[in-house]
Amino acid sequence: MTCDGLSWDLLVRAVDKELSQEEEQFVVGHLSACGSCRREYVQIADLSLDIQSLVSRVTVAACDRARWEAVTQKQEALNPARQAPARVMRRVGWGMAIAATLAVGIILAPRPKSSSPESAQQAASVPGEAAVSSAIEVDGETFIALPYSNPDLPVSAPRIVQMQVPVSSLADVGIALDPAANDVFNQDRAVLADVLLGADGQPMGVHVVSWE
Amino acid sequence: MDQGNLLTLPVVPWGVESVGRNGHSQLLLEFYDREQTPLKRYVAMLGIDPETARDIVQEGFLKLHEHLLAGGDQSNLRAWLYRVVHNSARNRQASFGQRKTSRLEDLTPAASPLAKDLTAEQELLEKERTERLRQAIGKLSEAQRACLVLRTQGLKYREIAEALDLSVSTVGENIQRGLERLREMI
Repeated sequence: MTCDGLSWDLLVRAVDKELSQEEEQFVVGHLSACGSCRREYVQIADLSLDIQSLVSRVTVAACDRARWEAVTQKQEALNPARQAPARVMRRVGWGMAIAATLAVGIILAPRPKSSSPESAQQAASVPGEAAVSSAIEVDGETFIALPYSNPDLPVSAPRIVQMQVPVSSLADVGIALDPAANDVFNQDRAVLADVLLGADGQPMGVHVVSWE
Repeated sequence: MDQGNLLTLPVVPWGVESVGRNGHSQLLLEFYDREQTPLKRYVAMLGIDPETARDIVQEGFLKLHEHLLAGGDQSNLRAWLYRVVHNSARNRQASFGQRKTSRLEDLTPAASPLAKDLTAEQELLEKERTERLRQAIGKLSEAQRACLVLRTQGLKYREIAEALDLSVSTVGENIQRGLERLREMI
């Protein structure tokens, strides 16, 4: 306590600008009339500046900003799952296994019962769209249902794998891509597609991402 | 003390999108450039040698980056970073005991930046006062010293409380008692 209710606590917080509006009005009013408390206030402020000066002269070792940037960039590269959650983006290993499954499924699959020229023509007008009748919607992405998909299997916790799928295999199951969409398009090529895997690990649908 | 230059970070969307998949956001780099030296000084004032202090601060920034990538809370990143660094410093101290700690007098050169403006007598008095202050700070409790140093780095009581996991009123008490003790000792 310094005088008349102006505590040391209030003076320190006044120096630190940590007073409420009411407290500030009270302290300012008091300091304008009390020389003793003004001196006390100045002493606290001076001591604070001395501490700040001492701290500012502490010897420090230089940080290597470039190294920090490199390490954090590596961190970002090591955490792709956080950047693209709920989507598996492996193009090798898993992709090869799924491609084999998909190829076998497509070869063994019965042809769609109806694939009218009108629907094929309609699909052909939209690059990348296919001439099939059913679709599966997962996470805002529409997949063309593959003919061999088991409709009784749950679609819970589906996984999406991005992979190269032969255009000829897609054509075999009635998924005809628009030839006009790319001049160099031919049946020997593969297209990049998202393949939806069901709970049993079998491909349930496909969404062509790019035919470039 | 001029509190007008408080290094208060703006509340910005520092999530994965703004940190960027192709590099760092400008804000994060500016934050690094602005805070790394005050952080190292803070760690050093806890009695950690400069090289270890630098490592602790670098680790702190890496954790901050991970925190941002994971979409962690961004309400007060400076206090968050000081808390991480403070805890790391405490853990290091506990793990290597007194082997790599530094004395305050070894960390702070005696020369005052204002010395060239002083007469020889004033300079001598200034050096003596600085020496007394340095010794006095070394005798404070760790909590008092931490609060006082963070205060000099421009942190508000609320931020200090968050960084040290204390209540705001306890921070106020530590600062007041610390200042009282320093004044008595010097």
